[in-house]
Amino acid sequence: MNKPTLDRANVLARPPAAVGKPRSAADLLSAMADELGIKTFFQKAPRRIEGTVAPELLHSFAANLRNRLGVEHLSAISCVDWIDQGQFELVYHFWSYRDSTLMSAKVRIDRATAQMDTITDLWQPASFFERDIHEMFGVYFRGNGDLEKYILSDWNGPPPMRKDFVSRDFAHEHFQFKTYDVPWDERIQGGYYGSRNGEEKKNG
Amino acid sequence: MAEKLLTQRNAWDRVLSSLKKRSLWMLHYCTGCGAIELPPTMTARYDMERFGIMPMVTPRQADILLITGYLSVKTLKRVILIYEQMQSPKYVVGFGSCTINGGMYWNSYSTIKSLDQYLPVELFLAGCMPRPEAIIAGFNALMDKIDQGKANSWEDYYKNYEFYRKNQQHAFGDIETHHDIPSDGAYFGILEADK
Repeated sequence: MNKPTLDRANVLARPPAAVGKPRSAADLLSAMADELGIKTFFQKAPRRIEGTVAPELLHSFAANLRNRLGVEHLSAISCVDWIDQGQFELVYHFWSYRDSTLMSAKVRIDRATAQMDTITDLWQPASFFERDIHEMFGVYFRGNGDLEKYILSDWNGPPPMRKDFVSRDFAHEHFQFKTYDVPWDERIQGGYYGSRNGEEKKNG
Repeated sequence: MAEKLLTQRNAWDRVLSSLKKRSLWMLHYCTGCGAIELPPTMTARYDMERFGIMPMVTPRQADILLITGYLSVKTLKRVILIYEQMQSPKYVVGFGSCTINGGMYWNSYSTIKSLDQYLPVELFLAGCMPRPEAIIAGFNALMDKIDQGKANSWEDYYKNYEFYRKNQQHAFGDIETHHDIPSDGAYFGILEADK
């Protein structure tokens, strides 16, 4: 696979909007509505803004957020498995150094196809999060050239953080446990646990 | 039984094992939370060195490999590489419940459950966590085993290498090791000892 070409000069250049007086969350929301035409965001806490973005619009949303509003920093990308609704929710956390405000953009994608556009051309460190989500949830990021195994280097099973992966069953299938025959019940006289013969012992 | 074993071994063996038991150097592989019990064991409060047990920084000079806590499949691979570098006789001590049956990670998909399926374990220290008193009691038991000439489970890795390799293969697949265990066992005469 080809690695995405990175316009490093463009990426490293600090956008002009990143410098200036701190804006309040309400100012940021109005700026988003005026400049970007986005009205799905709301203020969740004094310094926290949250909202939903359509998956095909996220890349341009992130680029505008960075270059026009001056939100420079990508804190993290996290993933939630909504198995009942058949969706994955990707949460992109952006941090504005100028305003000290966290902005979380939530994107819902289809769980069966599980594909998303990469944002590594805007933030190169996003590659780490995308690789992690690909390994743990099986979400494929189009345009990310490096989706190799990361933490689970010897892993052959299904993505383990999906809700339909039952860790206990997997552990019992793949590992052997020791078996004990410890006479606990004889030692604990009148305890909570019943004896091995099936006779219930009462307290006292 | 112990007396019979003692009488079967010649005087030189008995001198050697009583010297061996007083100079155990320990490599501690601290993956889990169990490492927090080791500093008080080593330092002035409990002072492990009065028994001749000393921490050592390299596997090639160590006698004890202390596995303190859980091992994920990924770290197990590194532990096996470390173990095969150690000089015989070598003693693996499983520390805490995690090495016995998974401990609190019993339902985890990425940690191994029983260490003795992958390496020959000389001694288990049960507990979550074992206190320094328990560690010292365990090491005393190990010293007694060495003194009586019974601490021979490291030979089991040469004798039953197929069993260990099969479990290792099931856990993580191939391993790039520099040691040919069956050939080493034949060369040092470990495999012929039983015949």
